[in-house]
Amino acid sequence: MENHKELDVLTMQANEANKDRKTQKLERRDILKAAVAGAALFAGGAPAVHAQQKTIRFLNAEPSRDSVKALRVAAAEYERISKVKVIIDTVIPDDAYNKLQASIAAGTPYDIGTLAFAGHVFILADAGKLVPLNKLVSKHKWGPRILFPIKGQNYWYPYDYNFCWMYYRKDLYEQKGLKVPTTWEQMAENAKALTGDGKFGVAQPLGNNAAAQWMSLGYMWADGVKMLDDNFSLVIDNPTNKPKVMAYFDFMKKLSPSMPQGMTQALFGTVLSQYSSGQVAHAPYAGRLMEVIEDKAPDLVSKTGFFMYPDSAGKGQAINHGYDGWVVLNTPMKDESLKFMEWFTENQYINFLHSAPLHFQPPRLDVYDDPRWRAHPYVEKHADLVEFMKSFLTRKDVIIRSVDTEGPRVDLRPAKMFETFAITEGLQNVVYNGMSSSDAVDIMAKKYRTVL
Amino acid sequence: MQGFRTRSDKALKWAFIASLSLILLLVLLPVFHAIQLSLYQSESFISNKNWVGIANYIRILNDAVFWRALWIGLVFGFFTIALQVFLGIIFALFLDRSFPGLPIIRGIVILPYLLPTVVVALAFQWMLDGTLGLLTIWAEQLGLGRPSWFENPYLAMAVIVVSSVWTWTPFVTVSFLAALQTIPKSLYEAAKVDGASLWSQFWHVTIPMILPMLMVIILLRSIWMFNKFDIVWLLTKGGPSSATEHLPILAYRRAFLQYDVGGGAAVATLSFLILSVLILIYFHYFPLEEKESSN
Amino acid sequence: MRIKGGVFLFTLGTIALLGMWSFFPIYWMIVSSIRPERDLFKTPTFLPETIDWQLTSYQNLLELTDYPLQFMNSIVVAMAVVFITLIISVIIAYVVTRYRVPGKTMIVGSMLYAYMFPPLMLAIPLLSIFATLGLSDSLIAVVLAHCTLTIPLGVWMLWGFFKVMPFDLEEAAMVDGCSRAGAFFRVVLPLSLPGIITVSIFSFLLSWTDYVFAFVLVSSDTNKTLPVGLASLIGSFDARWGELMAGATLIAIPLFLMFVFLGRYFIKGLAAGAVKG
Repeated sequence: MENHKELDVLTMQANEANKDRKTQKLERRDILKAAVAGAALFAGGAPAVHAQQKTIRFLNAEPSRDSVKALRVAAAEYERISKVKVIIDTVIPDDAYNKLQASIAAGTPYDIGTLAFAGHVFILADAGKLVPLNKLVSKHKWGPRILFPIKGQNYWYPYDYNFCWMYYRKDLYEQKGLKVPTTWEQMAENAKALTGDGKFGVAQPLGNNAAAQWMSLGYMWADGVKMLDDNFSLVIDNPTNKPKVMAYFDFMKKLSPSMPQGMTQALFGTVLSQYSSGQVAHAPYAGRLMEVIEDKAPDLVSKTGFFMYPDSAGKGQAINHGYDGWVVLNTPMKDESLKFMEWFTENQYINFLHSAPLHFQPPRLDVYDDPRWRAHPYVEKHADLVEFMKSFLTRKDVIIRSVDTEGPRVDLRPAKMFETFAITEGLQNVVYNGMSSSDAVDIMAKKYRTVL
Repeated sequence: MQGFRTRSDKALKWAFIASLSLILLLVLLPVFHAIQLSLYQSESFISNKNWVGIANYIRILNDAVFWRALWIGLVFGFFTIALQVFLGIIFALFLDRSFPGLPIIRGIVILPYLLPTVVVALAFQWMLDGTLGLLTIWAEQLGLGRPSWFENPYLAMAVIVVSSVWTWTPFVTVSFLAALQTIPKSLYEAAKVDGASLWSQFWHVTIPMILPMLMVIILLRSIWMFNKFDIVWLLTKGGPSSATEHLPILAYRRAFLQYDVGGGAAVATLSFLILSVLILIYFHYFPLEEKESSN
Repeated sequence: MRIKGGVFLFTLGTIALLGMWSFFPIYWMIVSSIRPERDLFKTPTFLPETIDWQLTSYQNLLELTDYPLQFMNSIVVAMAVVFITLIISVIIAYVVTRYRVPGKTMIVGSMLYAYMFPPLMLAIPLLSIFATLGLSDSLIAVVLAHCTLTIPLGVWMLWGFFKVMPFDLEEAAMVDGCSRAGAFFRVVLPLSLPGIITVSIFSFLLSWTDYVFAFVLVSSDTNKTLPVGLASLIGSFDARWGELMAGATLIAIPLFLMFVFLGRYFIKGLAAGAVKG
């Protein structure tokens, strides 16, 4: 009973803090009271599992205001009908896996977590820390390359695709009489034509980070490059792939004068900033870019078009893979967690997706036909973009790849390859350090081999 | 110096033992745990561990990446400490006089030290932003082109050295300032009477008096700079292409990102051992207890 | 006269440079936080052309993070750290200097171990220890973790103080009928006040600016401290340079104010004590 009250004070304070700033008064006394109460509660060593009220701890990795709000609203609703409290903690996506790991290692694991890499799901499942979600997953039909089953079991419930494609300024294209590029050559020329007067053609992150590996590899995938074969052997430097990768490195070097300075420091937010402020004419991203310009640069909305990454010859195109999902951890609360997830995915899935209606591309096929999802103003307004995005799931001529999903199934090896950032180092070697693309590929391959 | 005789002595003794135990527990237990981790191979902190004994160490010591990280750590440490000490002394000398507004200037001078590393990193990143950064634009206006602050390995190292020096020199400055203020003026008078020049005064009066302080500062700052993680990680993440990847970053990468917990722990332990050896050598030449005779 | 004037100007000039070197990045940070957002994308001028009196960056920042709560957390933690550090450092330093204690140097030396391991590697085992004690995700864990950073420094500094304080003063007090503890409180403590203040300030700063331990040991949003709150903004999509600069400024200003008032104690304390250390 005592615990319940003190827990309430804490969450009340947290909820207060998220309401309208102007009307909120956070009395110092109350905070101190809450802090002391919180400290007393936790020092008592009694997480609410033992208290009368059941509590589930949910680690969320979507820190945008609207997504956090959607989750808190769902949690409040669930508590109303089930009397089970769901506490939402939010971290940035980069920190989610380590947070989850640390919580498990410390013996106070989260009950539900969010992950953005299949490799992380694999590790946790392999260590026996996850609960299979087959029953939940099999209720619906899903798009391709999103379920990542491990030994026939589904340990994760995806909530979005984050494919990466290219956006461009239609108005500038018209001004300069340009056409949507279908080859690398055309892309380089278009970018060059739009560089000048302090503005740049394109922003392609090139640092040793996830942003670069998500936004800048699309051209290479379009050419049909494979990193691993079906036995998880490295094939990126074999006679078929090596010339293509070399050509890709050279193309990126050719593209680099059209890029703004500081591309090795560029992160996700950097590219969004640069495009929405009109500094660059092309930007790789997913649906979020459109949401951002609707919010911060609405005059650009009608001037923005999109296309997939072209290949070198004009024959194919690609998009880079991206995804997020939830896992249920093997904790004493797992039955409650499963019940919550069942309720949440039936009743609140679409609400959550609406917190980033274009960026959270539904991986569940039924959502596309659901009038509730279609009813969102952005989904209606940008029907062409939505059609474009949906087509990826069914078209046979679009290549969908990412470094961490190479190989025939989920495995730790491509995940390790991802973390070596060997390919972005190769890019830096060629673009900034004057290395020959052949040497760069060899060094990259050598580095990849150390983790395979 | 005496034994624990009276009752209040005994009370003090138990308080002492309790305090010491608490701090040693909190410090040594994690250290042992981390060293223990280095004897296993594991992909995460929660996966199954396989005992491999010293295999991780052999693997790490054979990896050129480790030695390069060690070298980078020594370079980074050397330059930051040398500059901090050099600038710290100079700043302290200039501040060791009274003039109007001294408290404000002193407040300003120590301000960098008060900032969390996150704030420092943000401030510098903003000034060095590739397109919008003030320093980038000034460099361009000075005709140096747009410097690739973070793409060029030397510039990247310069950035972390300068930001570290900016942040932590105040610690040295203030310590020296304090030391300078304890030097009796009479010594300077005597030197002047003997006809010593400013430089000679500095060398023969100032330096010897602040030498003990200097030694302690160098020791503390060396340990801290060798293990500095935050500022390097926030600014360059060890890049470009591992040009600023020193041992703490290598350990972090291995353990937290590259699914090699044992390797990361081994790197951390090796770093710890190297530091211990350096400190032992240091204590050999500059022992702690030099003034013990008076007690 | 002229020479003196020259030296004076030179000194003044250098001190001005010193001030600029130390203050400029902070000045730039503050100025950037009060510029309207579109100005951030134009070529910057030294003094802001327009000031955004509505402080939109600050408003956005406060919407995105829970600054007041994080501020309170940071303060509460830092003050607890200072309190515990002082008690423990004083006890250890005093006993080590006044009594026969075996392995004195080793004890003091082993405290340095806390600094010699990268904190991140220590944070996870610490998290396990705290979890077994039932303290995971609590600010108490953060306080204790910070103490592992502050106590070695505190012991080191106070040891220097107590070492050179002649025992006669305490002896005199005890002859007058004081107990050991009485002598301590009446004689030793007042004399070492500058050192105690110095240790307090260092401990406060070490705790206030820590990121690693606060990040690993705490998960709930309600327990986050300021550096963690600011760092979590960096990865988010809603925050741009304006908001980040606003967050950085909000952390820096209280510190600066605090130091303007407490600064001279800091230096006095260092003067009196640290030299001997």
